[in-house]
Parts: sequence; structure tokens; C-alpha cells
Amino acid sequence: MEWYEAGALLLGMIIAGMAIGLPVAFSFLLTNVIGIFVFSGGWPVMSRIVQDATNLLTTFTLLPIPMFILMGALFFQTGLAARVFDALDKLLGRLPGRLCFLTVMGGSLFSTLTGSSMANTAMLGSLLVPEMQRRGYSNRMAMGPILGTGGLAMIIPPSNLAVLLASVANIDVGRLLVAGLIPGFLLAGLYVAMISLQLWRNPASAPSYDVPRTTAAEKIRSICVNLLPMALIVVMVVGFIILGITTPSEAACFGVLGVIILATAFRCLSRVAIRESLLSTIKTGGMVFFILMNSTVFSQLLAMSGASGGLIGWATAFQVSPFIILAAMFVILIALGMFMDPVSMILITAPIFFPLAVSFGFDPIWFAIIVLMSLEMSQTTPPFGLLLYIMLGMVRKTTLFEVASAAAPFLLCDLILVMLLVAFPTLALYLPRLMT
Amino acid sequence: MLATADRALARASMALVWSGCAIVAALFMLIIVDVTLRSLGFRPFAFTLAVVEYGLLYFAMCSAPYLVRIRGHVVIEAIVAQLPNLLRQVLAKLVYLVCFVLCAIMTWYSLELLSGAIVRGAVDVRGINMPFWLLYLPLPIGFGLTGLEFLRYLFGLASYYTYDLGEIKDNM
Repeated sequence: MEWYEAGALLLGMIIAGMAIGLPVAFSFLLTNVIGIFVFSGGWPVMSRIVQDATNLLTTFTLLPIPMFILMGALFFQTGLAARVFDALDKLLGRLPGRLCFLTVMGGSLFSTLTGSSMANTAMLGSLLVPEMQRRGYSNRMAMGPILGTGGLAMIIPPSNLAVLLASVANIDVGRLLVAGLIPGFLLAGLYVAMISLQLWRNPASAPSYDVPRTTAAEKIRSICVNLLPMALIVVMVVGFIILGITTPSEAACFGVLGVIILATAFRCLSRVAIRESLLSTIKTGGMVFFILMNSTVFSQLLAMSGASGGLIGWATAFQVSPFIILAAMFVILIALGMFMDPVSMILITAPIFFPLAVSFGFDPIWFAIIVLMSLEMSQTTPPFGLLLYIMLGMVRKTTLFEVASAAAPFLLCDLILVMLLVAFPTLALYLPRLMT
Repeated sequence: MLATADRALARASMALVWSGCAIVAALFMLIIVDVTLRSLGFRPFAFTLAVVEYGLLYFAMCSAPYLVRIRGHVVIEAIVAQLPNLLRQVLAKLVYLVCFVLCAIMTWYSLELLSGAIVRGAVDVRGINMPFWLLYLPLPIGFGLTGLEFLRYLFGLASYYTYDLGEIKDNM
């Protein structure tokens, strides 16, 4: 079988499985079972699927996935998130479009304290959209900043997808997590600039309104009591990694400890919050792990069938700039994201794209940040971007078109960041290079 | 009869879920103690790495059956939802059957690995001596119960798909 036929068969089976409503994890499993028959020894080697799944899941570097989920869940369930939000709210005063800026500030901060873009979008949307609508904000101004900022959690550490991508692509988890810091905050800055531009063009889309006056003393008190202590969590995760006190896997546990210490200090750690957070960890972490357990066999099938090698050989045979290949991979990721979730996209593309990127001389950490940016963008592209549907579920009297067009200016910001990363790779690589 | 079996299955899945929660909590505490000991200059536990790695596998397998029950495994419904109802129902049954068969295959092969490890009496030596069969123990349990959870959908006790939930509730 030619490499392109093998590739089409393997990828086609996964996509067909998903299309008929097979759970994503089982689409991979079915492809692996059939793939073993077609490209390997059939029944006699079937136990390899179980063995490879066992080998993959018993990997220490996967520990941050459940721990970051637990950290984020505790952060929301204990009410610490609401405290942060109140503090930021007081800081902004009567600024026009204040709720849009609050979205970006709050969302960026939540991204450093949780690892989930879905949780981030749902949290920001449920808190802010009703308030924005009540204050007469246009739907576009209410939804756009939330859709943009929600996705920041994919690149700003701690990011679960970054851990997953690093595991599948076999790159250093700690370096990848830290690499997302500068691009993440730069993107938040671009969002602020975009909101300012939108407000300048159409001030009526986010009318200013009276808010109770807050004295300087109250603001300082709110920052000291509700905002500064959250730095403990950031220090315990990112700081410990950079300083080499813990490995990234261990740092995730210290992030959980940080949230527990703060929640205890604020007297908001309850049994219910712990139980709900643990259940949330099981739901999200278990789902990711069950998909992930099929990735090794799938990568091996791609290699064994000659699909990944053939594609790399085919791509490198062209006398084109590596950046054309990069652009092609970027477009493929965006296109896949229109109908696929980020975990599946990582599993399907990482075994092919990373060897290809390395063969073209790209730094894998830098390339991983580009991939994460593509994943973030793909979640707000119609028709099936997941974040669009979360927003659609939260906002009354809106359409998918309106949600997608609200997200469009922020997609442009994402694209600008990708171009900046291509022009200045140091933006992503400066911090990882500082690590010992 | 079917309802009794369903209740028993629900209890087994929930028991696994709470075991998974306990494992997450235990892994968290183990790492905190281990790093603290190391940072204070004491000798950290020798078994941390092995226990965490085994724990991650147990965590994954403990959550799998419960995820099927709460429709927690991600599905893409957008395409199937456009199909006529009859075709949708036929496809749904096919999906449940395929998932059940896949779980049965995984259960069979993991049982084979488990029994092989027990017979050989092999030991995983990594800071602590762990019998190798411990590595394979959660697999047949997890896959087996996950398969049974799909059987529940195949027998029409519920639907995995959100577009069906109204109809199924009415039928029940």
C-alpha cells in the first residue's frame, strides 16, 4: 500500500468514526484495532494495544494533567475566582468598555491559575455576558473579548494542552509551559489594543455607566487582600519550575497546594468544593487519558504503514521555503479544528508534524507554541469551534454567525501573534533558554 | 432484572470513581511530601515515581466506566444530528455495539496479560518491588465495566446522544 493510501485509510477511519458519532477515544481505538490487522500481525499482536496504552499512561510527565484540572476546579469551586474578579472590577473604575477590559484582565489571570480554555470561557461568559447585556453592550462587544481571552488558557501556563502536546511530541514539558508565558501576555496586550480600537470606532457598542465610587484605600486593600495572594499560586507553579525547585509534574501538585492554602486562609475550602473538584478532575482528566492511551499505537501505525515517513519525504522533496510548509501545517490545523477537538487534533497531527518541523530545522518548543496558537484559533472558527458553542449556549438571542463574527477581530490578533512569533522566535524561546 | 443489573453496574462504576478520586488525592499528597523531604535535605521516598506512574493508569481506568454513564467521552454529534431519526437510531446502536466489542477485545487481551504476569510471578523493581500483575489489574476491570456500560445503551436503557435525551426520557 502506498504511503498516501495508508495515511488516508488511517486518518479516514478516525474521521469516519467521529462522523457517525463514535466517541473520539473509541474512534482511535477502532482505527488501531483495524490498523493492527492491515499493517501488522493481526490477532497475535493485538495485546500490543493494551501494552502500549499501559506504557504510555504510566508516564510521570502526565501527572500535571489531572493536577492542573484539580487546581482550576478548586479555584472556581472555592470562590477564589470570584474574589479575583471583584478586585479587578474595583480597579477599573468608570473606564468606558470596562467590562471588556475586565474580561481580558480576569481571563489572563484565570489562565495563569487554571489550565482549561473551556472552563475559562464558561466562567467569563457566565459572569460577564449577562452583566454586559444589562449595561447595553452590543452582542459583539460582549462575546468577542470572552471568546478571545477564553483561549488564552491554552498557551499561558499552566496549560493542560501544552502538557499533552509535550508528552505526545516528546518534548520538554517544563520548557514548553514556560515558553507560553511571553506570547500569552503579549496576546492579552493585543486583545486590549483591539478592544480599544473597536471602542474608538464605535463608542456606543460598550456604553460607560455609573459605578459606585471606590476610594484609593479601598482599591489598595482589595489588591492586597484579593489579588496579591494569588501570586502564591503562580510562584508555586511557574516560579518553582523556572527556579528548578520542582519538575513541571511536581509543580502542578504545588499549584494545587497553593489553591488549598489560599482557600483555607479565606475560609472557603469546603468538603463540597473538594468533592466537586475531584469529580471534575475525574471527568475531564479521565476523558483526556482515555483518548491519549491510543496515541502510541496510532503513531506507530502511521510510522509502520509508511504514512508519516512518506509525507515527510514528499514535503521535503519540494524546493520550497520551510515557511510555506509551516503555513500549510497551520492551515491544516485550523481546518481540522473546524470539526475536531484539540486533543484529537494533537494525537492525529503531532506524530506527523513534529518530525516534519524538525526536519525543516524548526525549534520544537517554538513550533509547539505555534501549534498551540493554531489550536486556540481553531476553537473559535466556525462551524464547529467548541468555544463558539459554549458562547452560543450562554447568550440568548444570538446566532452562530454573530458569535463567529464577534470572535473574528480576536482571531486577527492571534494571527498577528503567530506572525510575530515567526518573525521573532525569541518571544517564545527566551524564557526556556534561561532554564538550566 | 435489567434494572437490578443496571443499579449494580452503577454502584460498581461509582465505587471506581471514588477510588479514582482517592488516587488523585493520594498522588497529590505523595508528591508534596516527597518534594518537601527532598528540599529539606532528607532522603525522599524511593517508591514515589513507581507509585505515581501506576496511580495514573489506575486513575484513567477508574474513570472510564463512569464517563460512559455520564456521557463524558467526547462525541461529535453535529453531523449525526442532521440525519433522519431512523438512520440516527440505527447508527447509535451500531456505535454502542462497536464500543462494546472494542471493550470486549481490550478486556480479553488485558486479562491475557494479567494472567501471564501472575503465572510468571514477575516483579517490577523500581525503588519498591511491585508484582507486575498490579500493572495490568485495572485494565480488565476498567475495560470490562466500560463495555457493560455501553451494553446498557445497546439495550435501550438510555441514549448517549444529547439530541435523543428528550425521546428516551419519554420512553422511560
